Amino acid sequence: MTAVLDRLLHPGGRRRSPTDFFGQADRLRREGRYAEAASLVASGLALDPSSVTGHLLAAYLHIAQRTIEPAKREFRWVLGRDPAHPRALLGLARIALEEGDLVGCRECLSSALRAYPDFPEARAVLDAIAAPDASAAPTAAPPRLERLRLPGAARALVVVDTQGRALVERPAVEGAGPRLARVARLAGAALHRAGFGPLRRAILDDREQTDFIRADSALTLALALPRTTPIPQGLLEVNRLWGAVQHELAVTRDEKPVPPPDSIRRVS
Amino acid sequence: MSRLKLALDLEGTSRGRQVRDIVEGLGRLHWVRGALVVSPDGFVIAAEVPPGLAVEPLAALAATLGRDLEVGASRLGHGAFQTALFSADDGTVLLAASRIGFVVALAEPQANLQSVRSALSEAVTLIEAAWAPGEAAPAI
Repeated sequence: MTAVLDRLLHPGGRRRSPTDFFGQADRLRREGRYAEAASLVASGLALDPSSVTGHLLAAYLHIAQRTIEPAKREFRWVLGRDPAHPRALLGLARIALEEGDLVGCRECLSSALRAYPDFPEARAVLDAIAAPDASAAPTAAPPRLERLRLPGAARALVVVDTQGRALVERPAVEGAGPRLARVARLAGAALHRAGFGPLRRAILDDREQTDFIRADSALTLALALPRTTPIPQGLLEVNRLWGAVQHELAVTRDEKPVPPPDSIRRVS
Repeated sequence: MSRLKLALDLEGTSRGRQVRDIVEGLGRLHWVRGALVVSPDGFVIAAEVPPGLAVEPLAALAATLGRDLEVGASRLGHGAFQTALFSADDGTVLLAASRIGFVVALAEPQANLQSVRSALSEAVTLIEAAWAPGEAAPAI
């Protein structure tokens, strides 16, 4: 098909070089025309299978079309040729983040920034997912807030602290706490870049449910309700739970340990 | 110039123009400071942002966040991620998923968020309509 197109587009003209194909593919990519761009990249790579530009474009186009495994292979191919390639490292870092591999993500971004310190995209993502300050981490286990009453229609409630530790996870779903913490940090970084300040509230819609989120510098709370929930009602519910969490935390802080019976002195 | 080439060029021009129109339309809404369309790999397809705002880092974060929301929703079996709204004291970032990437709007605190959300949904509908035909991905 591509060959036919090529003949039609260049009747009697010179044979197109890989650079022509990749240049045209990049232009189409810039217009969001990913499938057509991918077709041209395939043609270019057929002529020059060892082109770093071609493999990098192929990786971008796989990501754009949400096909992650082939994208990973293409980025790795590029890094096999150029281990410090910043764009390939950023691409792999973002895939690692999607897969929940924060350590791998940070390693890729740090490598890219070591080679190219002036790489704003890598810096922005690394700043957003930087490891929490270990010295500021509380040594005690996080308080468990088990007494919170969820609305009848609630599908889930997750509360995390700044370290990403879950204070509440109902129901317990693997990775829900870290995911919420990650989303809050990325959103906070995007708001900061836009000049808006730290994250306070969020509403996330997918096809089936809406997550209502409240956040401050210490906590992030996400309440999942059915998608059909009116926004004002969802906001009311999340505000009520936010208040209840603050109350429970205050009670936990103020509770004095009850002395064990042996320590009670008899008064004679 | 062959008719086929002319048709492809016209289609490309109209799609490129369309995505720029979408971004400009969002940017013209009351109390909207800027808008952009970002591909899932973080590439800026079109942007209208105030001078002084570094668009590439914001686009990288928006695409990373959008992908995280997409992957999370799909992993938890909730169906596709559609829209998100993140508010701070001085403004709101709205983000919607589309076939070609993420549509982002930056709204001031005074903005009517329901109107901006609706405009974002309309933008996604326009993109879906313009990009749907013949976009089957060939193997690279």
